[in-house]
Amino acid sequence: MATDDDNDILTGAVPEPDAPASSSERTHAKTFAELVDKSLTGRTPPPAMSADDRALLEVATVIRAASGNVELSAGKRRSIVEDALRQAVGGAGATKSGSVTPIARGRTRRWAPWAIAAASTFVAAAAILLLWLRGPAKTVTPPVERSAEIPTEWKSRPADPLIGPIKQEHAGDASDRIDAIFADRLDGYRDRALTARGRKAP
Amino acid sequence: MKYLVLLLAVIGITACSCSSEKVEPTPTTHTAEPTEVIDQDLMIALSKAKNFHHKARVYMSDGKLAEATASVREIMALKFPAGAPEAEDVRNDARALLAKLLVSQNQLDEAMRTVQEGIAQSQRESFFVANLYTVKGEIHEARAATLDPKDPAQAAQLVEEKHAAISAYDKSNDINSALQNKLMEDR
Repeated sequence: MATDDDNDILTGAVPEPDAPASSSERTHAKTFAELVDKSLTGRTPPPAMSADDRALLEVATVIRAASGNVELSAGKRRSIVEDALRQAVGGAGATKSGSVTPIARGRTRRWAPWAIAAASTFVAAAAILLLWLRGPAKTVTPPVERSAEIPTEWKSRPADPLIGPIKQEHAGDASDRIDAIFADRLDGYRDRALTARGRKAP
Repeated sequence: MKYLVLLLAVIGITACSCSSEKVEPTPTTHTAEPTEVIDQDLMIALSKAKNFHHKARVYMSDGKLAEATASVREIMALKFPAGAPEAEDVRNDARALLAKLLVSQNQLDEAMRTVQEGIAQSQRESFFVANLYTVKGEIHEARAATLDPKDPAQAAQLVEEKHAAISAYDKSNDINSALQNKLMEDR
């Protein structure tokens, strides 16, 4: 509680080191001790206090925390333990608190980017190595139909070997000759277009 | 999850860059020209020529020489594949028949023109060209037959036609002999 005496301590004359404490100093010390006790035991601090008291209270809290003797309340401890157990067994409420992360998942999250980056680098290096080591690209050229490979009976060709010399008495028998030519060429055309040998040919 | 997507993207890009098999497009130039093999166009042209000949034969059997002549003329207009040797053979054979039909209708000059056109347009010697010379000889004979040997004005022309007929027959024989020898050598 702030009083006018508080100001006397800060603004008044500095007492001698061995001088006995005044009554106002005792009162102020007792009040501040109660304030520190309330803060450390978790009780509600007073709604208003002087800036000097607040600064001193914070310093006291830091000093106590640094000493390692801070203990959580029983309810708080129980809540944290239950949260950790829930996360460990993968319970639905595991993420409710969000303050505790399972150790295994934490490790995974830490190493995953590095592992994926390493794998990507490896794949890229392998691709570059492959491109470098392989020879010139092989070109697949479609087979070309060569004239020499075509059977004679598939070719368009003069009809002389088929017809032979034409006697004078048969000079006008063109109808018979066209029948022979057509039949012969049809055989070749069918052989090329319909048989397995013809279909395999380029 | 985003790292996994990134990894898959890197692998995908790498896989695309590694597709090394290059397939060249089909060359537009073949060593075998379309006319070197028997194709559908050639068969269609031969089929039409065959049918026109049969049609002409039916007309001739009925004595309809004009209709038969028209049918044979259709063969000349048929479109064969470019460079097909059969085209020249079929047309020359049709010309020989056409000339004989014209001779039978006493159109000797037209018959002679038909035969001479065929000989002039031929790219090579064949049995069909030899046959044209044979028909040419027949036309000369037919012309000679129309001349009066007792008429001094026609006597010289008569001798000339007979000599031309002999020359045509000789030319036909020469072509036939040369071709036969060549075919024998090829075997």
